[in-house]
Amino acid sequence: MTSRWRDLGLAGLGLVLLLLVPVFGAPPAIRDFIMFGMAYGLLAMSLNLLIGYTGLVSFGHAMFFAAGAYAFGLAMQSGKFSIPAAFVLAIGFTALMALIVGAICVRLNEIYFAFLTLAFQMLFYNIILGWVSFTGGDQGLMGGIPRPKFLGIDLADRTQLYVFCSVAFVVCIAILRQVVTSPFGYTLRMIRDNQERAAFLGINVTMVKLACFVISACIAGVGGILLTLFVSGAYPNFGFWTTSGEAIFMILLGGSNVFLGPLAGTVILRLLNDITVSYTSHTELVLGIVILVLVLGLRKGPLDLLAERWENRRQAAAQAIRDAADKDAAKGGS
Amino acid sequence: MTSIESGRASRRRVLKGAGAMAAVGLVGAPAISKAQTGAIKIGVPTILSGRVAILGQTSVGGLKDVFDKFNAAGGINGRKIEMVVRDSKGAPQEAAKVTRDLINNDKCEIILDAEASSAAFAVQEVIREVGVLCIHSNSETSSLTADPKLHVPTAFRTARQGIHDAIGGGDYAAKIAKAKGLKKWATCSPDYAYGRSNTAEFMEYAKHFDGNIQVVEESWPKLFQPDYTEVVTKLLNAKADAMYSALWGGDLVAFIDQANLYGLFDKQASFMVNLGDYGVVDQVKQFPQGVYSGGRYNRVVPPTKENEEWYQNYVKTQKHKPTNWSWENAVAAEFIVEALKKTNGDTNGKKMAEAIKGMTLKSQFGTKGSVTMRAEDNTLVDYIIGYGVSLSKEPYVADFQSSAWEPIFELEKQWKKKQGYIS
Repeated sequence: MTSRWRDLGLAGLGLVLLLLVPVFGAPPAIRDFIMFGMAYGLLAMSLNLLIGYTGLVSFGHAMFFAAGAYAFGLAMQSGKFSIPAAFVLAIGFTALMALIVGAICVRLNEIYFAFLTLAFQMLFYNIILGWVSFTGGDQGLMGGIPRPKFLGIDLADRTQLYVFCSVAFVVCIAILRQVVTSPFGYTLRMIRDNQERAAFLGINVTMVKLACFVISACIAGVGGILLTLFVSGAYPNFGFWTTSGEAIFMILLGGSNVFLGPLAGTVILRLLNDITVSYTSHTELVLGIVILVLVLGLRKGPLDLLAERWENRRQAAAQAIRDAADKDAAKGGS
Repeated sequence: MTSIESGRASRRRVLKGAGAMAAVGLVGAPAISKAQTGAIKIGVPTILSGRVAILGQTSVGGLKDVFDKFNAAGGINGRKIEMVVRDSKGAPQEAAKVTRDLINNDKCEIILDAEASSAAFAVQEVIREVGVLCIHSNSETSSLTADPKLHVPTAFRTARQGIHDAIGGGDYAAKIAKAKGLKKWATCSPDYAYGRSNTAEFMEYAKHFDGNIQVVEESWPKLFQPDYTEVVTKLLNAKADAMYSALWGGDLVAFIDQANLYGLFDKQASFMVNLGDYGVVDQVKQFPQGVYSGGRYNRVVPPTKENEEWYQNYVKTQKHKPTNWSWENAVAAEFIVEALKKTNGDTNGKKMAEAIKGMTLKSQFGTKGSVTMRAEDNTLVDYIIGYGVSLSKEPYVADFQSSAWEPIFELEKQWKKKQGYIS
């Protein structure tokens, strides 16, 4: 079995596990937690395509999260679109926006790229705030997001919404996995490690970065759509710099070198938030301490650490086999 | 005593938290706390951290006294009220999730939404879906209850409303303007929806009552802006006769402290809707005298024995002074308690809503000693609205004039027609 089919099989298994949650009668709070986590998980996973795989640290990724959310919310509130049509429209809008922003940003590197993305994000955020008649300004999209039935699916029903979010989430994760394991994904890593060398090999670095930027933005946009469906609204802080910062936290918490690291970070961050908020209002203090411990203690995300240890053990085992073989060979020779 | 979840982290709480985390680690899901048998749990999503944490602290303070009394009297059918307070940090999506968690996880039967405006709209959508009773106690944005598209049958508001303040304030400002010849006006309000709509509505009604008023300068400092030098200079250069400001909280404190350096308040008449509230009046280094100050909460407004007793009791139990949010929440708690008595302890959202709709409560915060939950749009009316003149020390306000509600009702109806809310 090729790794591609194995990955798709694992994605299918993941989807089955997610769908088993309501089947086993999990309380609504657990489903809510998972749905919230899926929305933010897509934001973090998509950002890691830029940070972890391409070496592009974007401080403005939340603008695409918000773009997906607002485009979908506004399309649904207009009453002219079905949910699938609004979904496609929102992704299309996010892609177009990413194409324009990316065409300008990806030509720059490191801190210049980071700050330009931040600048575009703040521009977008201020458009949301300022265009009150269209976006609702700082009050966000009020009055709820209509969810008319389509193909017999009723997203007003929380279980059906959960199933819909699970399918969308797993499809996005599978797409991301296919991207990072494809030749295109390896090109991204080459650009991250040495973009001059990649250019000398004939790779159009700017175009590859731009394609990566657009794919990443679209996945973040889907995250925004899922959150919009969950909270039945879209709010300016979806696109504020703190949301981008939160996504970077999630990557830090989970690890950027393992594919599912940012998703683990999302779960850790949301768990920390949900648990600490029940006991204290000093949530940020707890998060700060955890991040300090990770940065100063582990110096990497937990999944990165586990992956590294696994690799070390695997190599040690292989070395032991080689040593034993050498010993046998030496004995046979003598 | 009303028990409140959340708050300080004692060793036991920390251990419980650690235990919950361990459990969560095993099952991969958030901890689920079992509802306490018998207690009527009231979920309170609010802001307890960050720059406006005072909103949450003084809101909870306002609720606690009412629920404590209810519990001390034995509750209803042996059931006492238990508040479950959660910090949403003011983020709408967090407020929505926290509200859902309060209902699904903590088994809260009633939601008392002590959020600021944008989060209140997110909570409203959760309530639309789950149908429990909800009282919005802090959101002043008029559309929350005025816009029929946003209407949710089981959601009510006990907070003051922007449009009511604008009409009452505009009337008061026009009278002063006519008497003192204040024709050229400048405005200085925070640059976000509340600041812009509040200022536009105030000036609209000031002009409605005095046609000679004209706005010659508008200044929109950013929310949480630290330096107001440029704004103050702009206001001074405008040479206006009067200024209106909807700045609030820490921003208002910073603005006044910096404007005092330039003597701004000596050079023009100033009207500030959010000035007269504890948390502002006792934080400003040099509180300006003679500023026209909107009524938020003050121990001498109304100058009654009941109000003074309420104030003293609040300070004694909470160790801080009450704010506007405190009385709004106290009134919300009173409505819940009265509704519970009417339904004989049944917390069903529809039944509670039927009980509250149109209810009039005896209250020291009402103009005629009572406040009413208006049935047509589930919002509070007849509460005290008005302006006074600021004093630099206690009681910080003098010559307070309450606005009459009849003209407010009349103009509010016209405003609703203009907005397309009614035909």
